[in-house]
Amino acid sequence: MILDYIIMGGACSRKRDQQVEDILSRGVSGKYSKSSSSKWLATSLSRSGSDVKRKNGECPSLMELCILKIQEDVDRYTKFSDLPRDISQQIFDELVYSQRLTLKSLEAFRDCAIQDLCLGEYPGVNDDWMDVISSQSTSLLSVDFSGSDITDSGLVSLKGCTNLESLNFNFCDQISNRGLEHLSGLSNLTSLSFRRNAAITAQGMHALSNLVNMKKLDLEKCPGIHGGLVHLRDLTKLESLNIKWCNCITDADMEPLSELTNLRSLQICCSRITDIGISYLKGLNKLNLLNLEGCRHVTAACLDTLTALTGLMFLNLNRCNFSDSGCEKFSDLINLKILNLGMNSITNSCLVHLRGLTKLESLNLDSCRIGDEGLVHLSGMLELKSLELSDTEVGSNGLRHLSGLSNLESINLSFTVVTDSGLRKLSGLTSLRTLNLDARHVTDAGLSALTSLTGLTHLDLFGARITDSGTNHLRNLKKLQSLEICGGGLTDTGVKNIKDLSSLTLLNLSQNSNLTDKTLELISGLTGLVSLNVSNSRVSSSGLRHLKPLKNLRSLTLESCKLSANDIRKLQATDLPNLVNFRPE
Amino acid sequence: MRETVKLISMEGFEFVIDREAAMVSQTIRSMLTSPGGFSESKDGVVTFPDISTTILEKICQYFYWSLQYSRGKETEFHIEPELTLELMMAANYLHT
Repeated sequence: MILDYIIMGGACSRKRDQQVEDILSRGVSGKYSKSSSSKWLATSLSRSGSDVKRKNGECPSLMELCILKIQEDVDRYTKFSDLPRDISQQIFDELVYSQRLTLKSLEAFRDCAIQDLCLGEYPGVNDDWMDVISSQSTSLLSVDFSGSDITDSGLVSLKGCTNLESLNFNFCDQISNRGLEHLSGLSNLTSLSFRRNAAITAQGMHALSNLVNMKKLDLEKCPGIHGGLVHLRDLTKLESLNIKWCNCITDADMEPLSELTNLRSLQICCSRITDIGISYLKGLNKLNLLNLEGCRHVTAACLDTLTALTGLMFLNLNRCNFSDSGCEKFSDLINLKILNLGMNSITNSCLVHLRGLTKLESLNLDSCRIGDEGLVHLSGMLELKSLELSDTEVGSNGLRHLSGLSNLESINLSFTVVTDSGLRKLSGLTSLRTLNLDARHVTDAGLSALTSLTGLTHLDLFGARITDSGTNHLRNLKKLQSLEICGGGLTDTGVKNIKDLSSLTLLNLSQNSNLTDKTLELISGLTGLVSLNVSNSRVSSSGLRHLKPLKNLRSLTLESCKLSANDIRKLQATDLPNLVNFRPE
Repeated sequence: MRETVKLISMEGFEFVIDREAAMVSQTIRSMLTSPGGFSESKDGVVTFPDISTTILEKICQYFYWSLQYSRGKETEFHIEPELTLELMMAANYLHT
């Protein structure tokens, strides 16, 4: 599900609702905590092949065939402006998707009255493109320039595109205050994004004060905007403001937000604000999502303010400075669905005050000082889908309090002291999809409790002490899409129990130093694999041939094996065209 | 006997094709099936004053190609580059 969201986020559309905030993915799952490669895989998947070819099986429409035809030979077309706008829009989108659009082919789109130009992260976009882009004139509604080389002077030509509703300049490091000024007349803008821009300052933000229709403003990682939020005072329609990782933001910056009563989403991660700054937010009664992750000066005293925000459903307090004192106010936040308290110095006595939060669907207690006795307070949270207990003092005795949480889809018990006997308490949680048991006290015996969890799609046994006999218990987990067993105890014999898990797309068997080429032979039928890691094993260059059927493989890691980067490169050239990331390299 | 329909181009050229093939187009389908609405549904004749003979011929070819495709014969459909833009306009109108 999260993977889907990331893929969707790769494409862009003015119409598409992208309100799923990062807080969700962070709050819901720690799936990417270790394998950041999965995230990378998702984004790189978003631009492979063509829009049309993706729909395998279904007969392509004549329109799709024509668009493909144009895409194959785009340079012979000089003018699309006689076509209806929705057709030229489709051609444009396909060219972007297949990366066939160049400055030359762009020329054919002059005066096409196109509405949406999704050029985010598209290679080569610079000021030379602006002439054709601005020729769409008042038809133009949204442009995504993120990652481009557009400069301040390039923005001048957007002045005539007065109907623009959405502009994205994320990672455009050649845009500064001067460029912002050129946008000040675009009063139809409802969405504007300038992530990671070090040049924008309070002075430049003056240009935003006229954009009174603004609903969504994103200034993530803009370190120079301190003092600039005063210019947002009149943007009373603002619903979403992201100033994450602007580490210049202080309490004074919060004051201008106090009148923005339409705000539903506010993200202020890693700022310098204190509980006093939070107090300015107490009138924002539509606030639904508040992300304060990494605000080291925010303590439980801010709950005095937050309890006034009765609509609050998503609250991220990860890496704030909460301790037990003051936490009793949590009990008033009864509408919370997602709560992230990870990395705070809270103990079991704080959890008492959470017991009434029965609407919670996701609770993150990563690295908190909580243990078995605290979990009793979670036993009534019957809506809970995701529970993060990584790096806590939770052990086997606590898990019995979770056995009634029948909606749980994801539990992270990594780096806890959970043992085999405790895992039996999880065996009735048949809704579980994601289970992280990367814990040293988990062994083969514990896995016998998992055989009933046939819905599992992700199982992480990274540091668990699993040997061949333990893998017998995995044979029926046919829906597993990702599996990590890296405790060192696995041999080729155990891999026989894995070879028929045909849904697997990610398999990590690294650190099992006894695995040989036989392992590669055994898994050669897992043709869905996108990512494979068998590092630190006895796999050799002569075993690589077994990987030839794995046509979907995009990432292959075989560090510290008996082979060279060249061996993999050869395999890539002859048999694995989709392989884009491999080690050794 | 297989049911046929007649499609008439801008220049008056008539294409007699299987009704099943013509139904690949959502637009023609609704013309032929809407009860009491279009006269086309009675006569089985559809005139396209905006579609040239060359294009209409290509479209008929696509109809048959599409039927074959959906029966599992996945061949390539050839489109002459010089026809592409005009063909798109027609495909857009015909919801094909």
